[in-house]
Amino acid sequence: MSGPYSGLRVVDTTGLAGAYATRLLAGMGADVIRLEPPEGSPLRRLGPFAEGIEPPENSLWWSYLAMGSQSVVIDPEDTESLTKILTEADVLFEDRLPNASKLSTQDINPKTIRTRILPFGLTGPKRDWRSSNLIAWAASGILYTTGFTDRAPVAPAAPVQLAYHASAASALVGTLLALRSRRLTGLAQEVEISMQEAALSIAPETGVPMFMDDRVHRERSGNRRDLGRPFGLYPCQDGFVSIIVLMPRHWVAMSQWVAEATDNESIVEEVFVDNAVRVEARDLIDDWVEELTQQHTRLELFEEGQRRGIPITPVNTIEALVEDPHLQAADFWQTTSLQDGTETRIPGAPFRSSSAWWSMAPAPRLGQHTDHYLS
Amino acid sequence: MTVNENDLPLHGIRVFELGIAIASPYCGKLMAHFGADVLKVESQTNPDVVRILGSAWLKDRDDLAAIASDTSPYVSEMNASKRSVGLELKTAEGKAAAMQLIAECDVFLANFGARALVDLGFDYDAVAAVNPDIVYVQLPGFGSNEDMPYYPFVAWGPNQAPLVGMDDFTGHAHDPPAGIATVAPPDYMSALHAAIATITGLEQRDVTGEGVHVDISQFETTLALLGPFVMDYELTGTVHSRIGNRSMWGSPQGVYPCSGDERWIAISATEPQDWDALRTVLGSCVDSDFDDPLIRVSDQDRLDEQISAWTAGFESEDLAGRLQAVGIAAHIVSTNEDLLHDTHVTSRQWYQVADSTRLGRDVFTNSPVKLSRTSGRWTGAGPSMGQHTRDVLSEVAGMSAAAIDNLIEVGGAFEQIDPETTTTRPWDDWVHLLLPGTEDARDL
Repeated sequence: MSGPYSGLRVVDTTGLAGAYATRLLAGMGADVIRLEPPEGSPLRRLGPFAEGIEPPENSLWWSYLAMGSQSVVIDPEDTESLTKILTEADVLFEDRLPNASKLSTQDINPKTIRTRILPFGLTGPKRDWRSSNLIAWAASGILYTTGFTDRAPVAPAAPVQLAYHASAASALVGTLLALRSRRLTGLAQEVEISMQEAALSIAPETGVPMFMDDRVHRERSGNRRDLGRPFGLYPCQDGFVSIIVLMPRHWVAMSQWVAEATDNESIVEEVFVDNAVRVEARDLIDDWVEELTQQHTRLELFEEGQRRGIPITPVNTIEALVEDPHLQAADFWQTTSLQDGTETRIPGAPFRSSSAWWSMAPAPRLGQHTDHYLS
Repeated sequence: MTVNENDLPLHGIRVFELGIAIASPYCGKLMAHFGADVLKVESQTNPDVVRILGSAWLKDRDDLAAIASDTSPYVSEMNASKRSVGLELKTAEGKAAAMQLIAECDVFLANFGARALVDLGFDYDAVAAVNPDIVYVQLPGFGSNEDMPYYPFVAWGPNQAPLVGMDDFTGHAHDPPAGIATVAPPDYMSALHAAIATITGLEQRDVTGEGVHVDISQFETTLALLGPFVMDYELTGTVHSRIGNRSMWGSPQGVYPCSGDERWIAISATEPQDWDALRTVLGSCVDSDFDDPLIRVSDQDRLDEQISAWTAGFESEDLAGRLQAVGIAAHIVSTNEDLLHDTHVTSRQWYQVADSTRLGRDVFTNSPVKLSRTSGRWTGAGPSMGQHTRDVLSEVAGMSAAAIDNLIEVGGAFEQIDPETTTTRPWDDWVHLLLPGTEDARDL
């Protein structure tokens, strides 16, 4: 393996909580060992599954998040093998609750950085509480503010598991800082992430400093917000576009576009340049804007709106993203191969660097590297 | 440089930051917490959006209008412990001073648009010309390659989440997309990737002597979280989309009503052992055929209805405690007001207080990244605009007092407006209630 973390030994005992962090480390050259129990990592039980491949090799979550790593199977009772693996680790990723971790400080090499991703952290009254992506968002204030008023509130992009990935990415920041400190001082340390805090850090709008400031009890308002008009999602021929107009120059461009496209002379009246007036007349403004958006596709509206200097984007589906012309032109997509040799598309490197930092091998078979590391 | 074992990981590192709103500033805030000297370079003619937001309680205070730019809660939230340097980069003199600072920095961090950086003359080539081994990290909306189709397009927070697929994944199945609205995950995910890239770049530079240019296209970065859905679309044509609060991997999982107006509880009980535990508290309130995991998945509507009828009889906080006591992941759906009373959060020092020249002191949220030995620190709340212009130009760029006077005179730099005008937030007397050891902040 090449890359900036070539030679670094990382042991990951987590499931979803740490997987995105160790995926990035593997992409940047580290030796990432995923310790699996004999029945396989919990990631291997997460669908969707690839057809024609037998479990436990068919999970697409495993096939994506475990890319570039090595699989070592250790029976939970086999403390000797566990000790051997841990002794040589530069970094250990762990997601057990504080009262459930089987590892004590003596089991861990004093030079090893121990990165712990926990539902509510190592301390505090909820330290033994369990969590999930949904629970982390519920505890962040954001879930309450998302959704339509006549329906139960919803987590943001629930299937994407953002709270886990934000926790993992935060854990990686801490781990890299600890590695830097270890290189400079020779001393290791522990990194701690609370999933609740990882979600709270993404959510300052429902955070306490903001609430103290304006005392506004944030409520959900569907897919439009009364901060401005047009502001939110608007239907078009093949889905929705997102339009965010606050500034006068954006409104001037937006209203001219609607006027030209729909022969609407009223919308360019001076009175509507005032955002507060537009919010007051929001139903009317929304009707007028929809007369334009419903004539066109997402991409037509995106390109023409951006040409006119209006903050507008398509509300992309997975299909639309895969077909997106910019991502194709930028050569963003890469491929990986599944256990039966099937090639499939995957997102490429999350950033581009002038030094060669990124390369990715396929995900390993269960126990593929056990002999290599334990014999 | 001699190393002390208590030094923070980024001790001795200096960052030149051109940041707007969140994506670059949040990265810079983490860097500052862990020891870097982060110079937030600001303009009065083209200010950071957090300088325009102001503060709700200040709206009718004409006497304080001049200092409104220092009062948005986001100023500290995104910029605590940074130093603010007022430089007008569109002037030749301001730009020259900025280049003098860059020559003394280790990191260049920016989320200005790619074209804006080129137009200002701060693209990678221009910056590397004065500092060849700089770690240059930029976060443009659509990448810095000018040949790409969306290169000139404008992207910002509320529009970025729908662009990268987040809104389509948000909401109940069969409803229109609910939209994310109050949260901008792409900004924060980009910021975290920027921090990862910055630390990696610093390590590379220290070990090999070579700098690096990292281009974080915010369009691309968040898509790295969608791998399994992209693969399944490619393999089977399935377009995964929103499924409410349900899990792809088991049932039940959802948000259920509790007693009271708009009180809800979130419950995740998707594993087989979770169901056994849930059964002990549900008793016969749900049909017995749900003991079959396949029926729990195939008939989720009926299951959710029966669970909702059960949860509606409980107070949300009480029910969350009961469920967690038997090992089931559950939490109230917290409102912003609930968070004020969340003693778990305050017990972990999530809210920090630090000195502010303008407000006396200010409150902001802590770093979610916790290190046990080099645990970071906050040297101050968010700086006033231009608060450190003179100090930084003198100390870092080595400019004389006369040269700085001249630079300000010609409009290349500016200092803090009306330094003698100070105030306090209306709730300043109650700040201590947010700190650990407080039973409850309900009095606020």
